[in-house]
Amino acid sequence: MPEAAFLEQVTQRLKEACPEVSVAEPSPIKGVVNFKVTRADTWALVFKTLKEELGFEFLDFLTAVDWKGPVGAQGFIQDPNPNPFLPEGATPSVTPEPPTPGFPYREKIELVAAVSNWNKWTRVVVRLELPREAAKAPTLINLWKTADWQEREAYDLLGVVFEGHPNLKKILTPDFIAGHPLRKDYVHVKDQYD
Amino acid sequence: MSVDIQKFPGGEFALTTADFFINWARESSLWPLTFGLACCAIEMMGAYASRFDFDRFGVIPRPSPRQADVMIIAGTVVKKMAEPIRTIYHQMPEPRFVISMGSCANCGGPYYDSYSVVKGVDKIIPVDIYIAGCPPRPEALQYAVLKLQQRIRKMKPSRTAMATIPQDKGARTLV
Repeated sequence: MPEAAFLEQVTQRLKEACPEVSVAEPSPIKGVVNFKVTRADTWALVFKTLKEELGFEFLDFLTAVDWKGPVGAQGFIQDPNPNPFLPEGATPSVTPEPPTPGFPYREKIELVAAVSNWNKWTRVVVRLELPREAAKAPTLINLWKTADWQEREAYDLLGVVFEGHPNLKKILTPDFIAGHPLRKDYVHVKDQYD
Repeated sequence: MSVDIQKFPGGEFALTTADFFINWARESSLWPLTFGLACCAIEMMGAYASRFDFDRFGVIPRPSPRQADVMIIAGTVVKKMAEPIRTIYHQMPEPRFVISMGSCANCGGPYYDSYSVVKGVDKIIPVDIYIAGCPPRPEALQYAVLKLQQRIRKMKPSRTAMATIPQDKGARTLV
């Protein structure tokens, strides 16, 4: 079990290093402390503090979430005018639902990374919201070698650009798939296998 | 067409046609390629193992496409795997047969709307037998092999023009 005193110490030290770091309340992940970072240029500094001063030596995962909405049952963005016989620019027949606490959609891409301190048996999550059009963050490859492929995956599927990454190119999708498939507004172009 | 046993004093000999003899040899030793793509491969392994025992049909998995007669497409075919599958298919010696196992390999299945899945392995290579199911039971795979044996019996290996009926038609038999 994580010790409350150690978590308090982590929060204090992080706030000393980067004053804009805050603890997300209520926590998006039950039982895990979630830190929110608001500025992309302190992203690497937060992890440097966590690794070198607080002993969080293991990067569990690094991924991203596209919060654009609202989405339909299949995960795509809802079409406000599903009737194809209406003229162009007609009044939308479907009113999109406003964001709810269960699905607080907004025009953001959120980077999520978890790090662990195995001596203290503690794991914390760090989150950073980025604009969808220019999602850029500094790379963590200088701290963890494992960040290499995870950042490439986030770039491939969600289009987050990691500045300073030495080999930022597609890792999972084949070359003929253009765009970033896990973005909510991704439109698939038919290829020879469809 | 069958085997005609002729007896004479001191022994006996068998008379048959080349077609029957070659087809009998082919259908009795259908060696599949050890090749699993996704969860259908678990059912395929179950069919090989002792409870269902594929050995009694002469079906023994081979580690190399050069030694294989059948390729069982067991699982989801993603677009990145499409080109290797075609390469492996062309590495197999003729006559070669393809069994498409499960909904994913038949038509894309539950991943039909996905950006990364081939909508049926028959977009890449010709398929002889399709097995429905998600995943099919091992019995269904064995039934597919029996159907393939029926198909092989109709081939005419002695005549070049008719030697490869099942592949040329791309015959669609849903088991």
